[in-house]
Amino acid sequence: MKLTVKPLKQKDAGRGLAAVDRQAMDEMNLENGDYILIEGEGGRTVARVWPGYPEDGGRGVVRIDGRLRQETGTGIDDGVNVEKADVQPAKSLTVALPQNLKVRGNVAPMIQQNLSGQAVTQGQTVQISFGLGPLSSMSGQKIPLRIADTEPDGTVVVADSTDITISEQPAEQIAGEESKKAVAPNVSYEDIGGLDDELEQVREMIELPMRHPELFQQLGIEPPKGVLLHGPPGTGKTLMAQAVANEIDAYFTDISGPEIMSKYYGESEEKLREVFEEAAENDPAVIFIDELDSIAPKRGETSGDVERRVVAQLLSLMDGLEDRGQVIVIGATNRVDALDPALRRGGRFDREIEVGVPDKDGRKEILQVHTRGMPLVDEINLEMYAESTHGFVGADIEQLAKEAAMNALRRVRPHLDLEEDEIDAETLEQLRITATDFKQAMKGIEPSALREVFVEVPDVTWKQVGGLEDTKERLRETIQWPLEYPEVFEEMDMQAAKGVLMYGPPGTGKTLLAKAIANEAQSNFISIKGPELLDKYVGESEKGVREIFEKARSNAPTVVFFDEIDSIATERGHSMSESGVGERVVSQLLTELDGLEELEDVVVIATTNRPDLIDTALLRPGRLDRHVHVPVPDEDARQKIFDVHTGEKPLADDIDLETLAERTNGYVGADIEAVCREASMAASREFINSVSPEEVTDSVGNVRVTMEHFEEALDEVSPSVTEDTRERYEEIEEQFDTEEPDTKNNDVGRTFH
Amino acid sequence: MSLRQTLREKQFESRRFEYDDETEYVVDLGPSANGTVDVVDNTAIIVGDKEQYEIEIPHDAQVFMNNNVLTIEVEE
Repeated sequence: MKLTVKPLKQKDAGRGLAAVDRQAMDEMNLENGDYILIEGEGGRTVARVWPGYPEDGGRGVVRIDGRLRQETGTGIDDGVNVEKADVQPAKSLTVALPQNLKVRGNVAPMIQQNLSGQAVTQGQTVQISFGLGPLSSMSGQKIPLRIADTEPDGTVVVADSTDITISEQPAEQIAGEESKKAVAPNVSYEDIGGLDDELEQVREMIELPMRHPELFQQLGIEPPKGVLLHGPPGTGKTLMAQAVANEIDAYFTDISGPEIMSKYYGESEEKLREVFEEAAENDPAVIFIDELDSIAPKRGETSGDVERRVVAQLLSLMDGLEDRGQVIVIGATNRVDALDPALRRGGRFDREIEVGVPDKDGRKEILQVHTRGMPLVDEINLEMYAESTHGFVGADIEQLAKEAAMNALRRVRPHLDLEEDEIDAETLEQLRITATDFKQAMKGIEPSALREVFVEVPDVTWKQVGGLEDTKERLRETIQWPLEYPEVFEEMDMQAAKGVLMYGPPGTGKTLLAKAIANEAQSNFISIKGPELLDKYVGESEKGVREIFEKARSNAPTVVFFDEIDSIATERGHSMSESGVGERVVSQLLTELDGLEELEDVVVIATTNRPDLIDTALLRPGRLDRHVHVPVPDEDARQKIFDVHTGEKPLADDIDLETLAERTNGYVGADIEAVCREASMAASREFINSVSPEEVTDSVGNVRVTMEHFEEALDEVSPSVTEDTRERYEEIEEQFDTEEPDTKNNDVGRTFH
Repeated sequence: MSLRQTLREKQFESRRFEYDDETEYVVDLGPSANGTVDVVDNTAIIVGDKEQYEIEIPHDAQVFMNNNVLTIEVEE
């Protein structure tokens, strides 16, 4: 039966499965798991039937992965002949190994294990993984084996009872089907995860005009001739171009920016012309220009004369007087704004496709791609890793998989004898990647887009924050809930809060709370210290703010933390002395927080101890909409803070934390920490002065911090909050508290009218 | 618990295909598993390579295994 080839979903790839649409299955009387023979223009192969995707029903579609497409010599949307295969169990099988394979010992059992259940025919090349995958630089590198002979003839399935012998002749010398050129591991559409929509767009632009130009003639339009791929580094732009080049049957050439530059006048342009000429001669052709921004920067802004001429040459080559024929140009860049605007119009780059940072599902697909050839233990749940890798791009995930494999390798390395030329087959078989390997690898890898602003997430948990129960609860609601229970927010038609302002007297634990959030929120964390945003050049300070939010957006979910926000967001209209940088930074902050561009899954946390100085526009709902007062701790809270700080200290029995809490009215968290430190210091002083240095290590276990030491410490540390300050903050709190309900009442009023 | 979760608990990565009249859950045990399946009342007994798993299935489900592809059909 004639069916059309389509790509398989990433998760099903690499297992010799063919998803046949249901109607076709019924017509051919196939069941899931049956063997079918797929015959294309360039060869034939055997696959097992997998249920067709529901959306394919009745469209006459067979979905196979890149390997099977290569074996049958077909591309996507080609026709193939599919029929039910009559497969017999093999009695014996002779395989030939490639000449350069150096493995000692008997590999027959491994081959059997690898091939068992697979259907093969004589002369076929099968790729098997020897568990070497993680060791090589290419993910999932496979070893090509040639089937030299089968018994009985025809298509056979390898069973446990099959005798496997290794042919003495190497695979290269066995004449089978016409031997294909040994190309480096190819990139097929299945090797690209999480970019289905983008890939579809690229294919539509490139494959369709090449295969069926008549469609465009009928419509009376010129087929599109240029695609510009842009997006952050490592998201798969080059990979996509490689896959397209590999899957379509066209002449492919690439230009790398610096390569065409020449020291002679006019020669750089000439090289560019040559590439286009060569492509035109071999049309249909694809020209891929990687890092387009290096050869096509804005003409007005470049300093060099050569660059300007190269850009002009590229412009005229892409859409000049001369028709460039069936030559398609794919450009890739991660700085799309740096390109000459004349390039970015129809006729040159007709379509711009953004290749973004993958979301959770995309990350899962990418993980599946990169772990496909790896021997993983069964417990590994890729979904979990997909969830905890926010902000990772494809390249980071590849790195993660590679690191995990390297960890596995490190485990077996002591057992390896590197002096030997060959590695024992048994050792290879034992290589397995475990969940611990992955966990270890996760620690070492951070999302590449965040590296510039990445901070080591502090190791502070909610437990280490004494007291402040209300505050903690409100923070948790604001920051953790929207990420943990998105369905609740959706059901209630509620927008997550954009920002939280924590205010309170110095030392009450605002920064500590932020640290705890960073640790507990399972998000990326960007910390901004106000003054570092300021720059001596006009406009650069605002740019800093913009860049931070840009980064936060592309790596969502993110928590952006501004410590001491009063330093950069003071009330506008007051300062006369400076050049107005401060005001512009405030304005930039305002627009970023609630502007035309949506801030999705980005939460801003700001702390200050002078909330009265902050620009009021920043404090309205929609920006920093939650105001959390971090108060001076009351007696209960103080006791809890004492608990936290004395938890690990050797206390004498006479110490009563309740009394201490009672006596420390006006002390804030930082003061209490200081009291505890002073008390232990006093105890240590007494101890060290009373013992000879030799005995210190032996008797240190007997030291206790007594009430007396605490008395001493209390004398030394005085409360940092006076009645006045406390009153002032209480006033401020009142002010904020009354402000909020007021606006709410107004809202309610409006809706009722 | 959904059938898919049950399958996942037993370390089977299943695919769900929803058609108009029924839903299919399909698991590929890998070409070398030599798997078989037996149904007793509402329990499917799947014998894989070395292990054996028992899975509760809905009463009207069709279960069969063909060349190590396990299919569970549930009518809507």
